[in-house]
Amino acid sequence: MVSRPPTEDELVERARRGDGAAFGTLVRDHQELAFRTAYLITRNTADAEDAAQTALVKAYSALPRFRRGAPLLPWLLAIVANEARNRLRSAARRDALALRAAHEAPSGDAAPSPEGALLAAEERAALLAALDALREGDRIVLSCRYLLGLGEEETAQVLSVRRGTVKSRTSRALARLREQLDPSPGEDA
Amino acid sequence: MSELELRLAALRGEVDYPATPDLAAAVERSLRAQPARPSRLRPLALAFAVLLAVAAGVLAFSPGARSSFLELFRLKGATVVRLESLPEVELVDFDLGDRVGREEAERRVGFELLDLGEPDAIHVRSGRVASLVYGPAERPRLVLSQFRGAVWDGFHKKALGTGTTIESVTVDGAPGLFVSGEEHYVMFLDGDGNVTDERTALAGNTLLWNRGPLLLRLEADVSLGEALELAESVR
Repeated sequence: MVSRPPTEDELVERARRGDGAAFGTLVRDHQELAFRTAYLITRNTADAEDAAQTALVKAYSALPRFRRGAPLLPWLLAIVANEARNRLRSAARRDALALRAAHEAPSGDAAPSPEGALLAAEERAALLAALDALREGDRIVLSCRYLLGLGEEETAQVLSVRRGTVKSRTSRALARLREQLDPSPGEDA
Repeated sequence: MSELELRLAALRGEVDYPATPDLAAAVERSLRAQPARPSRLRPLALAFAVLLAVAAGVLAFSPGARSSFLELFRLKGATVVRLESLPEVELVDFDLGDRVGREEAERRVGFELLDLGEPDAIHVRSGRVASLVYGPAERPRLVLSQFRGAVWDGFHKKALGTGTTIESVTVDGAPGLFVSGEEHYVMFLDGDGNVTDERTALAGNTLLWNRGPLLLRLEADVSLGEALELAESVR
């Protein structure tokens, strides 16, 4: 007989009772997004790792406050984001976000021509650079929504703001991003 | 979604992130290195507690002594303070509040009562503390009190009197405390974040634990094991 793996709720319950290994399993499931969240905020590998690790240890201590049955990921990411923002204010060096090398990029159904691929890569790089140049609040909300793929509600939880605030911040950040990309007045579309 | 949003979303898989470190292993190592599990350092999900043992009877602090403890309690931090000497106390009559029906009790406190079966009496005091009494009114066998405690906000401070022992326990997965010894005071943050206090009703041992937004307090002359069994039967 094959026993089923424990559910997230079961692992949370075990972790609440002090089972560090159960918490480790939960972390393993979410560590990539936790680290990337910290990295998008700090833009520094060492800071991101340190922030994420510290935040996850804090999350373990805070588990008694975690509402049973609620999704764990946004709750964890909120703690990570908070820790990462603290690092952001104190650290000095920032990496620029970069695109993956072309050969690593996921391929589409039809391979573009080398010229087309180059142009697309340049456009993407310009977009990423423009995003990177935004002010902190704009950059973080857009990173959560589009680079991490979080929904409005999840982003609200992660940033500890209301959903309506996420909407308005996103809208303003997009407007400023358009200005970055094309300083002359006009449509983005 | 505008074109710009679509272009941003298309970047999702293309950002050159550093390799994700093995955070799980690092966190597990860190947890193993901790001297005790965190919940033992955070006895309850609320800012509880000055627990003071007193010699006998149901006692209350003098206003001056209480005030000094409130001042002490407002300090943030994770320090445990053991009091070498207890403040002077004066005897007062203990009052569980108005005896009311269940519906009225729930209306007054604003939440649905949890119980261990049908109580012999329900009291509400100050519009916020509901006490379910089991056994005869003059000599109750068990009192289950419940009230809204503030969500834990990160600080924990307790002052223990000599003669009282406190054990960290787990009740239904939530951290709790078993306080044995003599009568004691419990101080906590109420739903508005104000420091407030509650006396215990019985001379027996006390189990404190959180269930959602509520602080539950079970007082009876029972052992820790019996108290935990009772607590897990609370519905």
